[in-house]
Amino acid sequence: MTFISLQFIVFFMVVTLLFFRLGNQKGRIWLLLIASCYFYMSFIQEYILILGGTIVIDYFAGIQIEKSEGSSRRFWLILSIIANIGTLAVFKYYNFFIGNIHTGLQFLGKPISLPLLKMALPLGLSFHTFQALSYTIEVYRRKQTAERNFVVYALYVMFYPQLVAGPIERPQNILPQLKVFRQYDWNNVKDGLARMLWGFFKKAVIADRLAMVVDRTFQHYPESSSVALAIGAVFYSFQIYCDFSGYSDIALGAAKVMNIQLMENFNQPYLSRGLSEFWTRWHISLSSWFRDYLYIPLGGNRHGETRRKLNILIVFLLSGLWHGANWTFIIWGLLHGLFVLLLTFSIKKGKESQTGFASLLQVLFNFMLVTLLWIFFRAENTGIAWDYIKTIFSFRGGSNYIAINSAEFIFSLAAIGTMLWREYYLPTHFIRNNKWFYIYVTFMVVACYYLGVFAENQFIYFQF
Amino acid sequence: MAKKIARDFTILFCFAVLCLSTSRTTMQFLFDIRDVDKWYGFFQGNHGDLASMSHLDYVHKFYDPKAYFLKRTSYKGPKNTVLFIHGDSNIWKISDSVFAGVCDYKFIGWSNPFKYKLDKAKRNVLIIEVGERLLREYYNTTEILDEFTDTSMLKKNAMIGPATWQGNKYSGSMVPWFNLDDLFNKNINQNIAGNLFSYKFMTPMFGYKAAINYYLFNRASGDVVISDDRQYLFYKQTIGPSYKGSSFSYLGPDEITHLITNFNTIYDYYKYSGFDQIYLSIVPNTVTILQPKGYNNLIPLIQHDPRLKIPVIDIYSVFKDSKKEYFQHGDTHWNIDGKQKWIDMVNDTLLESDKRERQAGNK
Repeated sequence: MTFISLQFIVFFMVVTLLFFRLGNQKGRIWLLLIASCYFYMSFIQEYILILGGTIVIDYFAGIQIEKSEGSSRRFWLILSIIANIGTLAVFKYYNFFIGNIHTGLQFLGKPISLPLLKMALPLGLSFHTFQALSYTIEVYRRKQTAERNFVVYALYVMFYPQLVAGPIERPQNILPQLKVFRQYDWNNVKDGLARMLWGFFKKAVIADRLAMVVDRTFQHYPESSSVALAIGAVFYSFQIYCDFSGYSDIALGAAKVMNIQLMENFNQPYLSRGLSEFWTRWHISLSSWFRDYLYIPLGGNRHGETRRKLNILIVFLLSGLWHGANWTFIIWGLLHGLFVLLLTFSIKKGKESQTGFASLLQVLFNFMLVTLLWIFFRAENTGIAWDYIKTIFSFRGGSNYIAINSAEFIFSLAAIGTMLWREYYLPTHFIRNNKWFYIYVTFMVVACYYLGVFAENQFIYFQF
Repeated sequence: MAKKIARDFTILFCFAVLCLSTSRTTMQFLFDIRDVDKWYGFFQGNHGDLASMSHLDYVHKFYDPKAYFLKRTSYKGPKNTVLFIHGDSNIWKISDSVFAGVCDYKFIGWSNPFKYKLDKAKRNVLIIEVGERLLREYYNTTEILDEFTDTSMLKKNAMIGPATWQGNKYSGSMVPWFNLDDLFNKNINQNIAGNLFSYKFMTPMFGYKAAINYYLFNRASGDVVISDDRQYLFYKQTIGPSYKGSSFSYLGPDEITHLITNFNTIYDYYKYSGFDQIYLSIVPNTVTILQPKGYNNLIPLIQHDPRLKIPVIDIYSVFKDSKKEYFQHGDTHWNIDGKQKWIDMVNDTLLESDKRERQAGNK
C-alpha cells in the first residue's frame, strides 16, 4: 500500500475517522497498532514476524536496561543492538558481504560458493531498526524511561505514517504524544490535509514525471548525448527530493490530522551553500541520528582535528551503507564525507552572512556537486556511474531523446519552479479561511489527478 | 449530530469499499452483476482493452476495422479427435465448428483447474497455449510442477486428474469464500478504482486526462505505451525491462533450461496420462512482432531448443515473417486474422498427425 494509491486514501479515511470516533486513548492506540500492522502486511505479510520479534526484544531490553545497573545494563543494551543490527545485517548486507567474498576469492584464484539468501528485503527495515535503536539507547542514557505498555511501545516502532520511510523518530517526541488523549482540532486537520496534498503533488506530478526522464537516461546512457545525461542527472536531484520529501509531507500530514507531530525531515536542502549545511537540511532525522548516536559517541570534535575528520568519514561511510548494500552507496557516502572535509572552508564563520550573488553562486555550486554525487546513488553500479559522469563532461553528441516531449519538458521545469517557489515563500500551510481551504483542496485534487503520472512507482526510500 | 452521522456513514462506506475490493469472491460477484450496458456497469471501451485502460477511446485513435467472423472448417472427413485447449484469453470464444476433424472441443481457461476425462475410443489432443507475457510467470516456478512429478496422485485420480498449473486459491481454505490472501489482495487498487469510478457517466473525467496526455504530452496514461509509429498501443508490462512478461527483460540461459525442464515434465505427465498428442503454442507479445529491436528472443530460444520434447505450433515465425497485420491496434490480443491464422495452423497440425496415426494403424 503506497501512499499514492486509492487503497491508502480509503484506509486513511477509515483509520482517521475511527480514531476520532473512539472516546478513549486505549482504543485509539489499539486501532493505530492494528492499522499499522495491516499497512505493513500489505507489502509482504510474513515480514511482520521479523518486525514483531525485534519489537519484543527491544521492549524487554528497555525495561531490563532501566531496572539494572553496571554490566547487566550494558548487556541488555548490547543484546538490543545485536538483535536490531543483526536483523539488518542478515537481510540487507549478508548477500553483499558474501558476494564480495566470492569476488575476492575468485580474484585470488580460489573460487568458492557460499549460499546466498533468496529473500526480499523487508520494507523500511533500516528505518524502523534505527528508530528502535534510538529507544534503547535513550533508555540506556537515562534520557527516556522504559515504556511499560507493550502496545504503546509497539506503536512507537510501527506507527504507520512513518513506518517504512521515516522520519526516524525519537522516543521523547513520540511516546508522550501516544499517551495523551487529543481532541479533534479542525485547524490541525486542515494543516495535515493540505500538507498531504502537497506531498501527493510532489510525488505524482513532479517525481514520477521526472522519473520517466531519469529512467530513460540511466538505461540508455551509452547512446545518449551529454546534454540528455545532464538533464537526467539534474532531474534525478529533483525526483529524489520530491519523492522523499513528498513521502515525508504525506507522513507528517497524516499524523498531524490525528494531532500527532512528527519531526521535520527536510528544510529546502537545495538552497544549502555547502555540503555540511546540506546535511542539516536533507533527511534531517537520519543525519541527526548519526550525529547523536555515532558521531558524538566516537568523540565528535573533542579529540583533535584528525580524529574529527576520521569521525566524519566514518559517519558518511556508514550513512552510505545505511542506504543500501552496494558499492555505489558506499562511494556516494564516502564522497560526501570527503567533500564535506575539503569544502569546509567555503562556509567558514564570517562568510555565512554573505548575501546576494556570492551566495547564489555557492548554492548553485553545491547543487551541482550534490547532483553529480546523486549519480552514484542512482546508478546500478559504480562503472555506470563513472561512465555517466565522464559522458556528461565529454560534451559529446548522441541521442537527445529523454522520453518526454518538449511540452512535457517545459511543464516539468515549470512544476519544479513552482515547487521551489512555494516551499521558499510559503513553507507552511497558510489558508485559514474554510471557503478558501475547500477551493484549495479541490484545486490540488484536480491538479494531482489530471497532471499526475501515476506510474505505480514505489517511493525511492521504501527500498531502504 | 449531522456531522456525526456523516462521519459514521463515511467510516462504514469506506470500510465496505475496502472489504469488497479486497475479496476476490465479492469482486467476481460484482463483476457478474454489473451489466456493462447499464449506467452502473463497469466501463468497457469498444476498441480494445488497452484503449479502454488508457481511456484513449476518447481521443478517437487506435481503432480497428470491424471484425468479421472466423471461418468454419471446410474439412468433411471423419471426426475422431477430442481437442483440449488449456489457454488464455487469446483463445476465448472460439466455436468448435472452426476445428477440422474435431468431434469434441473443450477450452479450459488459465484461471480454472484443468480437469479432463479422456475418451479412450478417440484421439485425445491437448494444446497448451500461452501468451508470451504470461509464459515466464506460469512456467518459471517450481511449485507448478509438484503435482506433475507426483505420480502417486496420478494413479489415485486415474484418468480424471485435477491437474493445474496454478493452485486453486480456495481449495484448501476452511471457509470456502474467504482466504487470508484476500486481506492483502494485490489488485485492490484496480478493484477500488473499479468500484468507485468505473461507471459510464464518469468516463469523460478519465477521457479528459487521456486527451491531455495524448495531445499535449504525446503519450498514453498508466500502463499503456504508444508504439513508435503511433499506430498501436502496447501493454507496459510487455515493454518495461523490469517486468517478467516483457519482451526486453533479461533472460539468462539458466532460466531457459528451467523452462525447458518444466515443459518436458508437463509433457511427460500428460503423455503418461493418456493424451495421444500434446502441443505447445506461444502467442507472441504485440511488441515482439511490431517493434522487435532489443527482443530477448524468449520464444525462439524455447522453440528451437533441442532439449524440448513437446512439439510446438510455431505462430511466432509466421507472424514475424508476414507483412500482414495480425494484432489489434488498441488491444493486447491478436485480431481476427491472427486468430484465424493460428486456427489454420492448428487444423493443419491436427490433420497431419491424424493422417500419420492412421497410416501407423492407431485409432
